[in-house]
Amino acid sequence: MSRLLRIALREYLAYVKTPGFWLSILLLPLGISAYAFAPVLMERSTPTPNVAVVDFTGRGLSADIAKSLAPASRAMRPLGRVVAAPGAPFVGAADATARLKPLLAPHGTLEAFAIIEPAGASASIDFWSRNIADRALERTVSEAVAAAVKRQSLAAAGVDATVIARIDALAPTVTDFSPKAAAGKVALKDRLPGIAGFAMGMLLWMVVMTGAGMLLNSVIEEKTSRILEVLLTSASAPEIMGGKILGVAAVTATVLGFWVTIAVTALTLRFPTIAGDLAGIFLARGMWAYFALYFVGGYLMFATLYVTIGAFCESGREAQTLLGPIMILMSVPMIFMSQAITRPDAPLLQMLSWIPPFTPFMMAARVASDPPIWQVAATAAMMFAVTALELWVAIPAFRSGALATGRFELRTFVRSLARRGE
Amino acid sequence: MPNALVLEEVTKRYGAFTAVDGLSFAARAGSILGFLGPNGAGKTTSLRMALGLVAPTSGRIEVLGSADAAAVRSRIGFLPEERGLYRRMTPIEVIAFLASLKGVPTGEGRRRAIRMLEEQGLGEAMRRQIRSLSKGMAQKVQLLSALVHEPDLVVLDEPFSGLDPVNQQALERLIRDLAGRGATVIFSTHVMQHAERLCDHVVLLAAGKKVFDGPVDDARAAAPRTLLLEGGFTTADVGALAGVEAFSAEAGEDGHRRVIATLCPGAATQEVIKAAFARDLAITRLEVREPSLHDAFIVLTAKKAA
Repeated sequence: MSRLLRIALREYLAYVKTPGFWLSILLLPLGISAYAFAPVLMERSTPTPNVAVVDFTGRGLSADIAKSLAPASRAMRPLGRVVAAPGAPFVGAADATARLKPLLAPHGTLEAFAIIEPAGASASIDFWSRNIADRALERTVSEAVAAAVKRQSLAAAGVDATVIARIDALAPTVTDFSPKAAAGKVALKDRLPGIAGFAMGMLLWMVVMTGAGMLLNSVIEEKTSRILEVLLTSASAPEIMGGKILGVAAVTATVLGFWVTIAVTALTLRFPTIAGDLAGIFLARGMWAYFALYFVGGYLMFATLYVTIGAFCESGREAQTLLGPIMILMSVPMIFMSQAITRPDAPLLQMLSWIPPFTPFMMAARVASDPPIWQVAATAAMMFAVTALELWVAIPAFRSGALATGRFELRTFVRSLARRGE
Repeated sequence: MPNALVLEEVTKRYGAFTAVDGLSFAARAGSILGFLGPNGAGKTTSLRMALGLVAPTSGRIEVLGSADAAAVRSRIGFLPEERGLYRRMTPIEVIAFLASLKGVPTGEGRRRAIRMLEEQGLGEAMRRQIRSLSKGMAQKVQLLSALVHEPDLVVLDEPFSGLDPVNQQALERLIRDLAGRGATVIFSTHVMQHAERLCDHVVLLAAGKKVFDGPVDDARAAAPRTLLLEGGFTTADVGALAGVEAFSAEAGEDGHRRVIATLCPGAATQEVIKAAFARDLAITRLEVREPSLHDAFIVLTAKKAA
C-alpha cells in the first residue's frame, strides 16, 4: 500500500471509528424526519378544536359550517367540531360575545366561536378565536358561510337545487403540456429533474463544505501537535495532502452513502413511484455521473484550499479569520440554487455557473434541466483547470505552512502562495 | 568510514534574514554528533535542511550518500523539538502507522511497537489512547516511533527537553545503544552535559554560523583552564603570576581570599602552581579546574558575538 493510501486509511479510520461520527450523520435524517413528521405529530397531539356557532340569520348556517369542518376522508382529522354554544339562546350579538368570550380563556371549552348576523342579502361574521396565528378555522367558516349564502340566494331566485349543485361542481380541467415532458403531458415525473437537481446541488454544497471543514480541523490538529513535521520526514507534501484529501473524501462518501441509503429506503417504502422516477433520472439520464464529476471538482477545489489554510493556522479561531469571507462568498450558490428549479436557464444563473468556485453547485442544480452540453463541458474544464492551478500553488505552500510557527499572518500566507512555498 | 551526513557551505535565507550562513560539517557514520548552540542559532533550520524539509538557499547537502533526502527518508528517524502525537490513537497504532510510512509492513510494525513499548516499560499503556498518557510516556512513544524502522540516521531535535532525570539517563543509554548498532545519531541541545557525556563530535552554531566543529576534547580546549586559589594573599599577588591571564576574587571561608585565576592559552598549569609556591603565597586550598563543554560553549559563542 502506498504512503498516500496509508495516510488516507488512517484519516478515514480516525473519523469512522468514533461514535460521534455515526451520531452526527444520523442527525440529518433525523432532522428531516422531524421536519416531515412534526406537523402530523402536532396535529395528532392537539385535541379537535370546539367551535360554537351563534347564527342570528335564521338560515341554518351552522350545519354548513359543521359539514365544511368535517374531514374529507376517514384518514384525515377534522379541522374542528361545531358544538352547541353554552348559555344559548342569546339576546343579541353583544350578549353572545359577552357570555362566550370567557370560554376562550387558556383552559376554556371553546377554541373559537362565530357570531353570524344578517347583512342585507349576505351575512356578517364576527369570528372570535383563541389562536390568532392559525387562520385555517376562520377561512373555513367564512368560505362555508359564503357558499351557503350563495346557494340560498340562487335558490331564492328560483334556480333549481340540482342546477346549483352542478354550478358548484363546475371547474375547468387544466392539463399541463411541455415539449420537455416525456409524453407531452406534464406529470410529476417531468418536474422531478429540476427538484432533483436542486437537491443534488444542496447535497453537494453540504458534503463538500463539511468535508473541507473536517480537513481543516484535521490539518490544524496535526500542525499544532507538530505531527505534520514528522509526517513530512516520512512522506512528501503531495502524498500527505493527497492522503488526507482522499481519506476525508472517503468519509464524506460514507456519509453520503448512508444518507442516500436511508432516503432510497424511505422513498421506496412510502412513495415507490417517485422512488422509481428518481432512479430513472439518476441512473438512466446519467445524473449520477454529473454528481460524481461535480463532487470531485468541487471537493478537490475546496479541500485543497482548506488544507492549505489549515497548514498556516495554529488554531481554529485563526482559520475562522480567513474562512469568514470565503463562507460569505459561498452563500451565493446557496441563495441562487433554488431558482434553478423554476428558471434553470436564467442569464444570472448561467453567469454564476462560469465562476469556478460556484460551478459545481450551480451546474449540479442546472444540469437536470439539460443545459447546452458545451456549457457543461466548458464550465467543468474551467473548474478542473482552476483546481489544478490551485494544487500547483498549494502543495509547496502546504509544506511551508506545516513547518511555520507563530500566528497566522495573511501577508506570510499570500507570500508563500506567490513563491510556491520557497 | 563514510559520512552519514555532509553539509557544504549551506546557507538558508528568509528574505533579508540569514538563518544559516555557509554551514559545513560532516557526521561520520556510526558516530554521535552533538549539534549545539544557543536558542535561535539556526540548529532547527539546519536539521530541517538536512532532512530535506526545507530547501537550502545555496550549498550542498548529502544524506546517507544521497543528494536527495527524500530518496533515503525511510532510513532516517526524526524527533522534532515540539512533540505531539495523534491523541486518539494508541501507542501501538501510532508507532505502527509511522513505521508503515517508512516501509515497515503493518504486522511487523505492530510487533516491533509492542516489543519496544514493553522494553521501555510502557507495556501497560500500549493500548490506551495517547491522550490518557503522561507527558513523559507520550514523549517516549514519540521517540520510539522515530526509531521503530531501525534507521541508519537518527536526528533528534532537543530530545532531552521536558524529560525528568531518570528518563534523560534512559535516553542517553538509548542513544549509545543506537550508535552501538551502527546508527548515526545527531541531536541538538543546549544542555552541554548531555553532549559532553555522549558525543564523539560536536558542531557549535551561533547566529547561524559555525563557531566550532570537532571532538569534544578540542572544544573544551577552546576554553581556558582555571585555578582556584584560597588563602592569605591579595588578588594582585595572583595576578602577578606568570601564565595568569585574568582573575576574579571573592570572600572565602575564615576571612581568606578566594581567587579564581584564568590561565593564558598554552600556559602549563604546573608552572603556574610552582610560581605561586615560589612566591610563598599562603595557599590553604588549590583546585585545578579543567574547562567543561559548557565553558567552551560560553567562550565560543561570546567570541562570535564579539
